[in-house]
Amino acid sequence: MTVNLRVAPSGAATFEFMSDDDSTSDEIRWAKLMVSAQAGNEHDYRSLLTEISRATKHYLLSRFGAQHFIDDCVQDTLIAVHQARHTYDSRRRFRPWLFAIVRHKAIDTLRKQRSQRDLAEHQEALMQEAQRDTIDLDNSVAQGQLLDGLSPQHKEVLTLTKFIGLSNAEAAAKLRISESAVKVRVHRAIGSLTRLMEAEA
Amino acid sequence: MSRETDNLIASLSSELKPVRSPLPVELVALLWLASSAAFVMAITHLFGPIRPNALHQLVTEPRFLFESVLGVVAITYTAIVSFRCAIPGAASKRSIVTALGLLALWLANYVYGLSDPALDPSMEGKRPHCIWETMMFAAPPAVLAYFITRRLYPLKPVRSAMLFSLVAGMLPALYMQIACMYAPMHILQMHILPGFLVMLAGGAIVWFLSWLKQRRQ
Repeated sequence: MTVNLRVAPSGAATFEFMSDDDSTSDEIRWAKLMVSAQAGNEHDYRSLLTEISRATKHYLLSRFGAQHFIDDCVQDTLIAVHQARHTYDSRRRFRPWLFAIVRHKAIDTLRKQRSQRDLAEHQEALMQEAQRDTIDLDNSVAQGQLLDGLSPQHKEVLTLTKFIGLSNAEAAAKLRISESAVKVRVHRAIGSLTRLMEAEA
Repeated sequence: MSRETDNLIASLSSELKPVRSPLPVELVALLWLASSAAFVMAITHLFGPIRPNALHQLVTEPRFLFESVLGVVAITYTAIVSFRCAIPGAASKRSIVTALGLLALWLANYVYGLSDPALDPSMEGKRPHCIWETMMFAAPPAVLAYFITRRLYPLKPVRSAMLFSLVAGMLPALYMQIACMYAPMHILQMHILPGFLVMLAGGAIVWFLSWLKQRRQ
């Protein structure tokens, strides 16, 4: 059984209990919607993409916390799902197909993150939005849990360069290491993150 | 959901064109493998005769038969896994490890054969240019696999390319067991090694093409 926490705009929290059948019913419904979308049904495709975008957002929020790149990643995932929709085979399960794309896009988006100055505002907006949404309790407790799986050095360098948005030079100065050492550390941190995400599959 | 995401969903779902339901990827892999094997056999015969007693040895020498059958099994399984890599979520890490393990087991036979060969080593049936033939005969199947998998959606195109190039390289390498002389050291150096070079070349070419594509974007 999964417990969902719903936080109302007033701040009141309520719990929803979901059986494992719900994720199975998601699986079946999404598979049906995708088959229908493959046949050209626009309405079903729109429903599918809407549900997928919510599920992807919750997945990413639970793994990375409320980061500024979550919306970008959700949108990249939707585009990838659109480009890859011909490869979904209804004889296979839908979730592994979808989440392989989500994981790939998450790492891809993380790699592309560059130094940004105006993140604080965006970050705050995301935090508020995340609170409004329904978030799986298990996941919300472990928000950003994937990052906890990294070594302190890797977590630190990713936080500085990808989440806070410092440049490599700025992160190097803060960590008192060379710029090339920052690049190597970021590369290895993303590699570790990829392995952690793949291990979840 | 943000307004941008809503707009994106609206634009992706408007004027949606139907897409053809895909053939099972395993079937596509087997069709590719069958056509590639037929091509390799045909072109090998075209370039020169096979070892005269090779087919007889397959029947009379159980270890030689085992070695060949193990090669066929390893190549077939790796071909299926390499095509699965072009479908999101279809290839597990375990299946990739199993495929590489089977290939390693097959190749271990030749390493073991250095001290205890399956057949008496002999120069009989030697093809003068087998090393080049192996690489040359592997190229068309590798290119065909590239075009097939490109129409799918490989999340890790380089890994997928290395796997199908490895299969493309090992196909002529395996057939050279029948078409060329039998001596484990010759097989490892002149048939298997070029097969691995094809794998590296395939991976490098696809990496370069992906890099070019990223630069253009």
